[in-house]
Amino acid sequence: MKVWSRLAVVLVAAALAQRADAIPAFARKYGVSCSACHVAWPILNQVGQNFRDNGYRFKNGKDHPEAQRPEYVPLALRTTPAYQFTRTTNQPAGLAPTDPTAPDTRYPVVTRTGSVAPSGLDILTAGTISDNLSFLVVVSGFNPASPEAELESAWARLDDLAGTGWLNLKVGKFELDSPASAHRAISLLYNYAAYSPRFNGSAINLDFQENQYGFELDGHDARSATRYSLALVSAHDDPGSSGAFSSPFLYGHVQRSLELDNPILPWARLGVLGGIGWWPTEFETLGTAAPTGTALGTSAATSSPTPIAGTGRNHKNYYRAGADLSWILGYPSTPFFFTVAYMYGRESAGLAAGTDPTGTIDLSTQDNSFHGGFAELDWAPTINFVLFARYDGVRYATAPGDVDAGTLGVRYYLALGPRASMAVHAEVHADRNRGFDPVAGGPSWNGGDVNVQSALLGLDFAY
Amino acid sequence: MRRNVCVLVAALFAVTARATPPDAAVAARGAKAFNRYCISCHGQDGDGRGPTAAYVDPAPRDFTSGTFKFRSTPSGTLPTDADLYRTITTGLHQTVMPRWDAMTALERHDLVQYVKTFSPKFKEEPQPAPIAIPAAPAMTPELARKGHEVWTKVQCASCHGDTGQGNGASAATLMDDWGHHIEPRDFTRGSLKVGDAPEDLYRTFMTGLNGTPMPSFADSISPEDAWALVAYVRSLRKD
Repeated sequence: MKVWSRLAVVLVAAALAQRADAIPAFARKYGVSCSACHVAWPILNQVGQNFRDNGYRFKNGKDHPEAQRPEYVPLALRTTPAYQFTRTTNQPAGLAPTDPTAPDTRYPVVTRTGSVAPSGLDILTAGTISDNLSFLVVVSGFNPASPEAELESAWARLDDLAGTGWLNLKVGKFELDSPASAHRAISLLYNYAAYSPRFNGSAINLDFQENQYGFELDGHDARSATRYSLALVSAHDDPGSSGAFSSPFLYGHVQRSLELDNPILPWARLGVLGGIGWWPTEFETLGTAAPTGTALGTSAATSSPTPIAGTGRNHKNYYRAGADLSWILGYPSTPFFFTVAYMYGRESAGLAAGTDPTGTIDLSTQDNSFHGGFAELDWAPTINFVLFARYDGVRYATAPGDVDAGTLGVRYYLALGPRASMAVHAEVHADRNRGFDPVAGGPSWNGGDVNVQSALLGLDFAY
Repeated sequence: MRRNVCVLVAALFAVTARATPPDAAVAARGAKAFNRYCISCHGQDGDGRGPTAAYVDPAPRDFTSGTFKFRSTPSGTLPTDADLYRTITTGLHQTVMPRWDAMTALERHDLVQYVKTFSPKFKEEPQPAPIAIPAAPAMTPELARKGHEVWTKVQCASCHGDTGQGNGASAATLMDDWGHHIEPRDFTRGSLKVGDAPEDLYRTFMTGLNGTPMPSFADSISPEDAWALVAYVRSLRKD
């Protein structure tokens, strides 16, 4: 029996290895291994950061499409078939009262789900159009549970304006230059909580994990030791305010890395970020008039009119500010790679509506703020193995929803060569959302915490 | 007279230069960097037979031979550690060898030592000092015209063609020491593999490219003629 079990393991491993015989776009173009640009795929190392900052160019005379074989197509796929189990506490059951003044008779239940979750598919194409034009298009979706595809990224970039790497202009839909890319996060279970805080009752939809439409001016020195990004975008899911730039968010991020003559701490990088946005609070609306004679207070008379995009006015400010620090302990090729980031956010009075769960604080009359951040370790003792751990935390000044989250995982790369990557990915996660009801998206109906525990075991591969 | 001095200096180096075997401890660290960055082309054994080698043109360097094209040392000799470091740092233009300057300097230094472990020559043969490169003169049209005379004298056109486009009469027949067809450089466009500075050209003329048909002219032209040839070759570039 043991012999058959071992044979089965060998056969499965062999089958997986065969599936990995494929060609990711950049590795195929330049012949380098994925590990050359990634601490552990998908996290970029300094070489990968420099390659990205250069507009997906090594600047070795082989970047232009005409320098490639005609059959080369800059196309890659990524999907993650995986088993996932999730347990969530304090979920409401029963009937919600129709009369707001009646007592809430709902009761909490614990939900458990476990299955090979639909993973969807990312289709990526990226590279260069000429020596100084680069692009990225990512279509994601195709998930059986949500089959529609989405244009996740779509941008083109003018590289080396005025002949210098300090000036590059990107236009389209792209990810803000954040302390750690949410799109290249190694965790498959949990995103960076501080990137998408949700103030109680807030209208702001800005989420660093979502790509934004707009412009980015960015630049860097030859080694990307110093780099900056300055972006003007329409905040994700903006309601379409009036003005030359709808619901603008102006964002900047600067990073400076240092090589230290120290075998224990050979490299470190410090960054600061900040952003200011303007969000409309009033709109012209379009609704349906209640039939003559409809009594006030009935649903027909109180149906909400629809805001008209492009008429938003009376903008209120909101801010983000933060800092990030990354460092390597040990040898850079097999590093302990640490990243800690802190973010502070503030939203002006008038950007939230309603009251706090106690009913005593009118959220529309005061500023809201949060502190958040994360600490992450990615340890790659060999090219084929990485252990990662992360803590996420968010604290709100006046609203419920404080988050504490821990994530731990390992990835073993069955293939990490110049053609394809496939990793066995195992991860566990737990988080606590204080007084937050994920169903209603606001304060909990019973004031309790929602605890989530999840585990994932799967195969993450790029082709 | 000047040539005699050069020969004397070279002979002196031959007597005094010593082998510089790789530092084992540093090379052990370099192995980690090699596995991360280099192995896909140069192969686990450093023999230039990595998984992508068959698709890479020019072929990745076979380190086991101890033959290196881009050096500051006389023809037929080993490169210095600084030569290897420079190639890793700046890459080789018009090849898939990228600039690895974003890598930490520590890793690049360690890689130099690890690369040296692949060939026994580094333990056995002296590692000579770099050739002397005199200060570059002004690259004037007059100097370029003189350089054309040198171009004709040393028969550069037989490989690189009359107009420097790499289409000389023998271009189609050229092979390197590993049996790969090798194309003479087209001087009219694109950067040179090791760089476009006048010193890069001078160094190549006076050291040659080991393992290729490109010889060293150190014994056939003077430094003044070499600078003139530099001026002429630079004048050929059209892009």
